[in-house]
Parts: sequence; C-alpha cells; structure tokens
Amino acid sequence: MPLDDDDNPALPGPQPTNKTTTTNTTTTTTTPGPSTAAAAVPDDLTAEDLIEDEGAAAQDFRLFRKTPGVSAQTIRKGEKDFESHGTRAQADALEQSRAAMGEVLAYTRVHAGPQRNLARGWVFQGWWAGFGEGEEEVGAGDGGGAGAGRERKPYGFVRERVVVLEGGSVASMNLGRAVTGQAKDRPARGKDWLLPEEALYLVERGSLDLWWPLKGLEEIFPPETAAATATAGKEGGEGAKEEDGAAEADEYELGFPLSLQAAYALLIGNDGERGKVSLQKFQVYSNLKRCGYNVLRAPPAPKQPPATPSTPITTTLWQWFANLLTSNPHHQPYGPLVQPGLHRSYASIYRQMALLPLHQPSATPSSPPPKDPFAIHYHVWKAAQKWTKLRHPPPDFQLAVVDAQESAVPTLEEATALLDATPLAPGRAEWAGHPGRMYARLKHGHRHVLVAVSFAEVYEYSWLRSKDTVKLVGAANLQLQLLGSSCVTLDTLHHTDAVDGMFQMAQAESIWDVEKTGVCSHNARRNTTIGKASGQSEVDNVGEGEPILRSPHN
Amino acid sequence: MPATVAERQVRISCVAGRYLVFDIDDVLYIRRHHGICAVLTGTMPQNPTQNLFLGLPVELHAEEAKLLVDRKAAYIADELSDHLSQLTTMDETTRGAYLQHVKQQRRNAKLAFDEEKAKVQAMHQGKRKAASKANKTAASLEGASAAPEGESPSLFDPPTTTGVVAGPATTTTTTTPSKEALPAITPTTSSALLSGATPVLDGPIPASSYSLYKYLNSRGYYTTPGLRFGGDYSVYPGDPFRYHAHYLANSYGWDEQIGMLDVVTSGRLGTAVKKSFLFGAESPSKPDPDGGEGGEMRVFCVEWAGM
Repeated sequence: MPLDDDDNPALPGPQPTNKTTTTNTTTTTTTPGPSTAAAAVPDDLTAEDLIEDEGAAAQDFRLFRKTPGVSAQTIRKGEKDFESHGTRAQADALEQSRAAMGEVLAYTRVHAGPQRNLARGWVFQGWWAGFGEGEEEVGAGDGGGAGAGRERKPYGFVRERVVVLEGGSVASMNLGRAVTGQAKDRPARGKDWLLPEEALYLVERGSLDLWWPLKGLEEIFPPETAAATATAGKEGGEGAKEEDGAAEADEYELGFPLSLQAAYALLIGNDGERGKVSLQKFQVYSNLKRCGYNVLRAPPAPKQPPATPSTPITTTLWQWFANLLTSNPHHQPYGPLVQPGLHRSYASIYRQMALLPLHQPSATPSSPPPKDPFAIHYHVWKAAQKWTKLRHPPPDFQLAVVDAQESAVPTLEEATALLDATPLAPGRAEWAGHPGRMYARLKHGHRHVLVAVSFAEVYEYSWLRSKDTVKLVGAANLQLQLLGSSCVTLDTLHHTDAVDGMFQMAQAESIWDVEKTGVCSHNARRNTTIGKASGQSEVDNVGEGEPILRSPHN
Repeated sequence: MPATVAERQVRISCVAGRYLVFDIDDVLYIRRHHGICAVLTGTMPQNPTQNLFLGLPVELHAEEAKLLVDRKAAYIADELSDHLSQLTTMDETTRGAYLQHVKQQRRNAKLAFDEEKAKVQAMHQGKRKAASKANKTAASLEGASAAPEGESPSLFDPPTTTGVVAGPATTTTTTTPSKEALPAITPTTSSALLSGATPVLDGPIPASSYSLYKYLNSRGYYTTPGLRFGGDYSVYPGDPFRYHAHYLANSYGWDEQIGMLDVVTSGRLGTAVKKSFLFGAESPSKPDPDGGEGGEMRVFCVEWAGM
C-alpha cells in the first residue's frame, strides 16, 4: 500500500553513502562530512533525514538529464554546499544545474508514431451544457460493478465533459466516457468525451494533442447517416497525407493544435464551474495518476433513502457489551466509579466503568451530506489489471481535496459528515474478538477517507517526504499526513473502539485486578486519554469537573 | 544580453487565481536575476510516471508574483479571457502565422526525431557488428553447426546498409525531412498565438508575510515554501540547487505578541532539521534605512543553546 511509508518504493533505502547530514545536532552544519554522517546513522534513515532533503525544488536536473529512462528510485541528489565560497567550481556546478533544468524543461511534446495511435482531443466546451443526466444513474458508482442485478454504469458527469477524443485507443482505455443512448443522427456518436482533468493530464504527459475546432462538431464528426461518404473522403485524405506532404494545406482546415498554456487556460477554473477543474484538484489528480492510481470523480451523493431503522451489522461481543453498557447509565456524581461491593464477575465491574456510550457504527448514518471542501471528490483505486473505467470494484480510497490555506482542520461535524458519506468499511471479520488483532482493528476503524491537502505552491512534497503528522485524538481520530500534493489518511477511531480495546486487553491478560491496583487508576488513565480528547460532549454523563480520578483509596 | 535582461517582461499567467509561468526562459530568468525559484507543478512528458521531477508550468505564490510586478519585471495576464478572445476572433493572417510557427516546431521535432533514430540505429548496428564478430569467431571455432547463427546478423548488417541509413539521416538535418508525416506537437506556450494586447490584471494581494519575503529576497536569499518545516519559508543562502537552507522564517506583525511556545515550537522544528528559526516584522513607523518602500524590517534569529 503506497500510503504506508514502509512500502513506498520511493523511500530511499539504507544507502546513506551520499548523505551529507545527520540528525545529530552536535555535528555542526559547517562540516558536512559524508563519512561521519554515514558512520553515525548507517541504517536509521527516518523522517528527519527525508525532511533534511530539501525537496524537489532542489532536485538536481543534471541527474534527470543523464538518466532519462530510469525510475525515480535510482535518481539521487547531488552534493550541496553550506554557503557560497566564491569559487569558480561552485559557480560552474550551479550553472550546470540551471542549464540542465533549462534543457530538460525546454522539451516540446511530440506526438510521433503511427497515425492510428495518436490521440487528438477537440475542445467543445458547450456541447453537453444542457444535458440532464438520468437521476437513476446517480449513486451507482459506489456500488460499482459489485451491485447485483442489472449492471449500472458509474455516473458519467456528462455535463462536465468538454473534450471529445479522436483516435487514441490507449488513452481512452482508462479515461473518458462515451455518452450512450444518443440518437443515430447525432454527431460524434460513440466518441469518448474527457473530463477537463483527464484531458489536461493527458496533454501534460504528452499523450494527447489538444485541438481548437474551427468548425462545428457536426462537420468534424459527421453523424453516422452521412458518414459513409464523409469518412471515406476523410480516410482518403489522411492516407494521402501520409503519402506526401501536399495535403498538409487542408490539415488545419477543421482546427489547430493548442499549447499547454492554452490547455491550462481553457480547462482550469474555479470550483463549481462547469467543464473546468480547479488547479488544486487537478494537481492532486495528476499526482495520483503519476503514481499509477486509477482515479475517477466521485459521483454526487445519492438522495437519502427513506430512513430505515439502523440495524447493527453483526451481533458480536461488542454489541453485547453495548447493550450492557447502555443499560447501565447510572453513575454517582461523586464517589468511586466502581461501587464497593460483591462482584461475581468482571462484567458487572466493566458495566460500572462504562462512562462513555459505545459507538455503534451504522450502515446508514444520519448526519447531513458533507459540504465542500470536506466532501468526497475522487474515488481512487490502486493499480490493477482488471480495472476498467466502467467496471471496477468499490474504490480503495475515497478522496477529499482541501486547500491548506483556505481551510482549517475539519470540525467534528465536518469530519463526521465526511466520514458518514463513505460506505461502512469494517475491519476483517476474523479480527473481531481476536486480542492479537486489536491494534489492527483500532487502526482500521469503521470508515476511512483520504484528505488530500493541497498547498497552493508546495507541490514539491513527495508522498513520503513530508511527515508532518497532525494527530488529533478525538471522537474521530484524524491522522493527517501532509503528503505530496498531499494525500492524507484521515483515519477514524471512534473513541469507543478504544474502550473496546481496553476491555479486551483487560480480559485477555487479566491485568484488571480490582482489589489490588484499584480499578480507578486504570480507569483514570483510560479516561484521560479518551475523555479529554473526545471533548466535552462525550463525558457529559459522568458529571462535571474531574469525574474520573476517584479512587476507592482516597 | 544585459539589455535584454533589463527589458524582459515575464508573463505570469493568472489561471483561476493562481499564478503560473509557462516559458522556460522566463523561469530561468527569474531564477537567475530575481532569486525566485518557485515550484514546478507539471508532469514531465519525458518521464510521466514519477513524482520526483516535475515540469512546467511553474507556480508562483502571491508574494513572488507581486515582487516581480512591483519590480516591473513581469505582468499578470488573464489567461482565459486572452485565449478565448484570441481563439474566437482569430483572422486568417494571425492563424496562418500561428500555424506557420507550429509547423516550424513540427519540422524541428522531426529533425530531432530522425537524428535520434539514426543514432539509435547506428548504436544497434554497432552492437550487431560486435555480436556478429563474436558469432563468427564462435562459428569458426565450432565449425559448420553454428553457421546459421553466424549468418543471421549478416542479413541485417551488410556494411552497405550503415552507409545508406547514415546518409539520409545526415542529409535530413540540412535539407528536407524524410517522407514520413511530420509528427504533431503540443507547444508549451501560446506565445505565437497570443499576439494581441493582453488583458493585464492587477498585482496580486500577497499574504501578510510579503514584507519579510521581500526583505529576504532583497538580501539575496532564496526562499521555498517552508510549510514542511512548520514555517512560512525555508530560506537558502543562494540557489537551492547548490545550498542547504539555513533558516526557517516566520513573519509577524510589528505589535503582535509572539507566544513563547511558538518560539519553542518553531525553534525545535528548525533545530531538528539544522536550521535556525528566524522571525521578522516590518515597522509601521520607521522608514526603510535602505531607502526602499515600506518600513524598516527587524529580523531575529533564535538558536538552540545546547545546555
């Protein structure tokens, strides 16, 4: 899983031969000795080392130029100096770096190769503006192909599609959508239409030749009824073009190619503009695509189904506990948490210790739909062979894109709404009740969502490089790892999971000895971590003040 | 060279409120002459499946864009309206000129492509030759049984073919390209297309840290976004290609209270990555002693004492 640092292929392995720095502050920065550094931390390349790397802004393009075909993993950074010492060697090295950058970036995108492989996109921004997408299609996306019964296609975002694709079977394999159900006499029937981010991504990676049309869509892609003659003529034209360059005069009759700059100008817009994508969403999108993920826009939230009584998913030990816990809400405002008395089983003690109501994940949450920016924008799949744009399993990640400068850490309401918009994803069934799997369960939670925090200009972060981890322990435990453009796990742990875990641990290891250690000291520890973090609302039923630290001994 | 440098106007494309630069010459120019490295954000067409090296466009943050505009080294173009007006009201002559430009680039691409191909072919043939030589020696050693293998490279590698292949390749560089169709290209900038008057936008409204940014830039420091280190900027003594960052900079208001905990937090963060924590503010009353706009900047540096 590439979101885990351990598995990220881009993480430099323990090869600190050219490391000039250590985390040891006593090694002064003025002596960047590789030998001492290598000796000091031979295999302890941690986040700090990665932070030490100054980021992609400082990437030495000389290495890229030298090794154009190699993977990112093998590209290492060059040595750096502490400060200018006015030597010519230094100036030359700098100039070389700059020249290499200029040379590498001056590349012009060339679409060479056999004619049939070339993808050409035509910008028709208004074509689908009035298209009303069938309501029944909405919401099919989260079921994906997994839904039983008649197969439904994912939501198409037809109104947003602005670029029609000509040729290029490779490009249209994972991107674009053909709009079905069109009348036979409609032009461009059966052609794939691209979303703005898809088109721009393809242009940027040099796989799409974006054209501005001079004629209408009817003339470029004549309807099938009139096609017989027209296409024949066109094919003939193309054939002739390949034969000699004389036909080139007609080549630009229908339109002409656009530049990358024009593609940005035409396809990047503000949030909510039809047929545009915001720059931050595009940057996140292309970052994920570069990593090899399959990314599709998340379909709009389905209309809320009529409220059904939320049924518990499984009747497990937890539900049983839940029943026990909720049935015993009574607590004294003061005095020991566990009343002195005869306890015949642990169950009665646990019941008295239960200060917080147990969270019961429900498949149909009641919270309102999430609002921007904390809403699901993209569905992300790990690269898989059998993935197609129309048939795919439920997404591996649900992604929200957030601008770091315009939004704060989500409030509890926002986070809850965001999480409730994702399908319930409980941990594996075999984890339940298994003490060894407690942490796996805690980490997994019930729902999960990725938040891509995009920093307007901080795009050089790579996936793993920035390890700025904001941890909020709360009713939902958000673990924001500010990554590349930057993808973030927002991991939820409902507090009651932690309580579950504690109970389970207590049971499993029998460390919970009421008489000797005093339940309340355990309890206090438990509740200071949980109660404090979860805010005021959750500890209300305990009473005011410091309800927790009450030991039978004082 | 100096004359062109002084006159150069960098086109900063404003797209949906963000500032991008598409021209590589502009990017190098602001890097060399204005100490702005900005951030590369695009996919590299040469190697599009990696995130380590990124390509054009370069994204400037508002401070950098404002600095360039204030120095009259750049203007901010409203990219969308410029393109739309140009594309919709294009007449034959401008279109012809643009297409001529595109065609020229296509020819160049073709030349480069042909050269590359010839080079690769030459390389392969070199390899084949070596292989065939080895094969021949092997064949001579092993006798008749290895003869078919020894024959096969000679089918592809008669010495005359090399001459034939190399001949056209070298001639194409000077005269007409080979008869294959010209490859299509996507130019990086629209400079050839946008010949008319560009609608120019006002300078951006930068963040409150602009004065600190300007001060650091005027002292020859390069900055990159410092968010990864928990500050506004990481400050480099020169081009980040060559140097490590020295400081982690935060900007404050002149009368703003700075929490001790902030100093500790940022100081710790900076020290952990061997940078000292720098903070500064602009005086609203005292003028800049250097005679620049704005007030005097006072900047302090906090270093951890290893006691």
